[in-house]
Amino acid sequence: MSAVWAAAKAAIRRRRLQTFVIGLVALFCTATVVVSLALLDAMSAPFDRALAQQRGAHAVAAFDPAKVTDAQLTAARDGVEAAAGPFGQVMFEVGGGSGPVMRGPLTLVGRPGPGGDVDRLDLWRGRWASAPGEVVLNAPPEDETSFARGPFSRIPSLTADGTTLTVVGWAFSVGGSADGWVTPEQMTELRPTGTQMLYRFAGDVSTREAVQQRLTGVTTGLPGGALIAAQPYQVVKEEAAEGSGVYLPFLGTFGVLGLIIAVIIVGNVVSGAVISGFRHIGMLKALGFTPRQVVAVYLTMVTVPATAGAILGTVLGDLGARPLLEDTFRGMGFGQDTGVPAWVWAAGLVGIPALVLLTALVPASRAHRLSAAEAISAGSAPRRGHGLRVQRALGGTRLPRSVSLGLGHLFARPARTALTMASLLLGVTTVTFATGLSDTLIRFSALDAAAGGDVSIRPEPPDGPTGVTSSRTDDEVEALLRGLPGTERIGVALGRPVSALGQSEPIQVNFVRGDVAAMGYEDQLLEGRWMAAPDEMVATSELLNKRGLEVGDTITMELQGVRTTVTVVGETLQNLPGPGDGLFAPWREFEDAEPFDYFYQVDLTEGTDREAYMQAIRSADPGLSPWSRGGSNELQVIVTGFSSVLAVLLATVAALGVLNTVALNVLDRRRDLGMLKSIGMTPRQVITMLVTSMAALGVAGGLLGIPFGMVAHRLVVPLSAGAAKVTLPESVLRVWDPLQLALLVLSGVLIAVVGALLPARSAARLTIARVLHNE
Amino acid sequence: MTPLSVVRSVPGMTTETVVRLDGVRKEFGETAALDGVSLEIRRGEAVAVMGPSGCGKSTLLNMVAGLDRPTAGEVTVHGERLDLMNETGLALFRRHHLGMIFQFFNLLDDLSALDNVALAAQLTGSSAATARRRALELFDELGIAGRRDVYPAALSGGERQRVAVARALMNRPALLLADEPTGALDSRAGEQVMDLLIDLNQIGQTLLIVTHDERLAHRCASRLVELADGRIARESALDRV
Repeated sequence: MSAVWAAAKAAIRRRRLQTFVIGLVALFCTATVVVSLALLDAMSAPFDRALAQQRGAHAVAAFDPAKVTDAQLTAARDGVEAAAGPFGQVMFEVGGGSGPVMRGPLTLVGRPGPGGDVDRLDLWRGRWASAPGEVVLNAPPEDETSFARGPFSRIPSLTADGTTLTVVGWAFSVGGSADGWVTPEQMTELRPTGTQMLYRFAGDVSTREAVQQRLTGVTTGLPGGALIAAQPYQVVKEEAAEGSGVYLPFLGTFGVLGLIIAVIIVGNVVSGAVISGFRHIGMLKALGFTPRQVVAVYLTMVTVPATAGAILGTVLGDLGARPLLEDTFRGMGFGQDTGVPAWVWAAGLVGIPALVLLTALVPASRAHRLSAAEAISAGSAPRRGHGLRVQRALGGTRLPRSVSLGLGHLFARPARTALTMASLLLGVTTVTFATGLSDTLIRFSALDAAAGGDVSIRPEPPDGPTGVTSSRTDDEVEALLRGLPGTERIGVALGRPVSALGQSEPIQVNFVRGDVAAMGYEDQLLEGRWMAAPDEMVATSELLNKRGLEVGDTITMELQGVRTTVTVVGETLQNLPGPGDGLFAPWREFEDAEPFDYFYQVDLTEGTDREAYMQAIRSADPGLSPWSRGGSNELQVIVTGFSSVLAVLLATVAALGVLNTVALNVLDRRRDLGMLKSIGMTPRQVITMLVTSMAALGVAGGLLGIPFGMVAHRLVVPLSAGAAKVTLPESVLRVWDPLQLALLVLSGVLIAVVGALLPARSAARLTIARVLHNE
Repeated sequence: MTPLSVVRSVPGMTTETVVRLDGVRKEFGETAALDGVSLEIRRGEAVAVMGPSGCGKSTLLNMVAGLDRPTAGEVTVHGERLDLMNETGLALFRRHHLGMIFQFFNLLDDLSALDNVALAAQLTGSSAATARRRALELFDELGIAGRRDVYPAALSGGERQRVAVARALMNRPALLLADEPTGALDSRAGEQVMDLLIDLNQIGQTLLIVTHDERLAHRCASRLVELADGRIARESALDRV
């Protein structure tokens, strides 16, 4: 074994560049694989992971305190792995609140702290309620800027039935165990109407039925009718999937691409290393190394740098994946990240070296079979076949000879060329897909941002946090807003539940007037047109899907006591913010509408300061509560960022594949290069020759990779939108223009040229005397 | 027309100096491969450099060919100071003024014999057609016209060296450098290459031959330079056999 180790060490020292390249490729591939696998792992079940991270409840149960005591609930633990509670629970009727959030009945729970065995809350802002009169509200985490701009920052307190609770913190329960939490003492004052228990069950909890079954096991011994309501975690999971599902296939595609490209490039680099060593293999055999020892030498030679690269790559991948995963989880509304799981670490540390070993085994087994003489000649045998004919044809063209020689190199080793081509193709495919995805998301985001205005305004209700109400009528509010400097467009909406024939539940209809259509909602039409008559309506695709309706269908409604038939004339993408089913209808006056039922959206002229505009509203009428819409969609920013990071990583790995190919070609052709320089080839011509061959591959990779990337974009993007039950308008999918395509081809060339430049420059500096006399 | 008339038509030996080495020293680490070598070669001369292994023969050839740089001293070839040139300058100089033949021929395996030769002219910017025309003339003169489309792997050693000579002569070099030109050939092929070198010298081609082979030196060269430990141990005029 010592002879094998000595020979392997010598080979590593002698082939420093190749060893470095193998190590570097292993490092980047491992980093890509770790990021990709962590991503695939995270996206495979983000809700489940977040729930597990928080030890979220499998079932949130509410019991009647009149029928069951706390002691009975604490004692009932059949099939329960862990439980939290009993906690007092009450419905807190917030009259108007501020903005479209935190309205209506809120479930408040009296809880001493955010921790515990079950439902460990992410207290992401402020502190836990420690005294009566304090409340912590449940919401997904937001960063400082989003929070300051969004509606949450406008809720300093909640008031109901004469009790005012000051908001002292914000926490997030993945399982949605409550809308807010107060101290147990405060809960006693509020006179709880229910007792909450949070359960994590042992055994199968994969379906609603299974959870229900476990819950029945717990409650069997309790008095009849004690259980008022129970919510299995699947209810929240399905709601969450609708929000985040649109992004999962995007991320998944990148993960899969990362894995494929890593495998191909590792294969290219390692097989090249072994094949270029055939001559050396023959010499080892001639020295008396057994075939097994020779194979061992070569496997050691490639495994040592690969393992070193894999260790560093795993650490690098982990460091890179952590902030991305954290952002992704937060962006998906799951609060905390779960980090890079141990199995991904194991895959990085073991997977890439194992892959290297397996890849090296194929050419090494050939070396195993060859006799010493055959191995030596295989390492230096002249090439035959198509390559020669192509080289001859190229020699007769008008191309500069350094260029035609470079192009001819591609045909000298077709297998190596094919592998390099594959890595370039995948590199360009990735860049194309990433570019398309970013463009689609940007367009989608623009459509999203275009609708809804820059500032939203709702009059404060009488029991609102400020206690100040507006004395203005609806029309006066609109006139006030129109008169403020910076106002460009105003849309006014009034949401009303409307009974519809054939529908079991009333539909929330937004009656709109003003510039609503021009504020981006009309641009979001997927089918049909905007409403133009009192008996026409436009519906969101979500509503149409949910209610089984189509454009052209009619709905018969009870409107102000009159049975009215309306026609759905258009399908649009997005509803107005706040509660509602996504049905737009022409404006109607409702005499019973309260001032705070009206909702205003304002588009500002370019350059208007939002903060100053909102301040102007507050100054003009303290009874109006304005808030600014958040910036771009956080999750879209994350996906764009993620795709960019992975695209850069994969492009780097592809460039390393090219670097390896050129390094191997230089090694193979050292004698030829020396001869060419001896007959007058300048260093610049040497670089041109070597870079030309790879640039040509880059062009080919670009031309082929672009359609692949475009097809992937066309397939994946609608698929991902479909997962969220969203139909994307064609305009967000048509993202390609000729200039962009030309730039993408250029990206292939750029990856190839960057990869080729370093070994080409070293070839240009090759000492001719040493090469030519080194036979 | 004299034999090899297409190679070049220059007068015989003149007093014009083609190569001048002045106090050339070349160190590799602590070892001096050349130690103060001064040498002149006149136009039309055929000089053989001999000596035991490691005496600095190849290093001297590399200096003259601009393949390596001296640690000290001056190297002037065809009136140009090679020790002052950058890599590109040296490449252009070799392209236009030097021809080289090697022990192991150094032909490109994936080019035909004709394309190997034409390549030297194409690097100077000649069109493929012009370069091939010139290469064909050389093939005719060197007696290998029938092998022009054959790839190096299918040529005999002697044929490969003739192709290498044709390539070296392609741009009508002022100086032809030969590094053990018969070292890899059997005796018959070696004789043919020697005859070729003699013919070339007779029509005025300046030659610098590095060899271990006394027979080659005595047949082809008019002057013998013997090196030992990086220094010129002896110089002598030769009567060609």
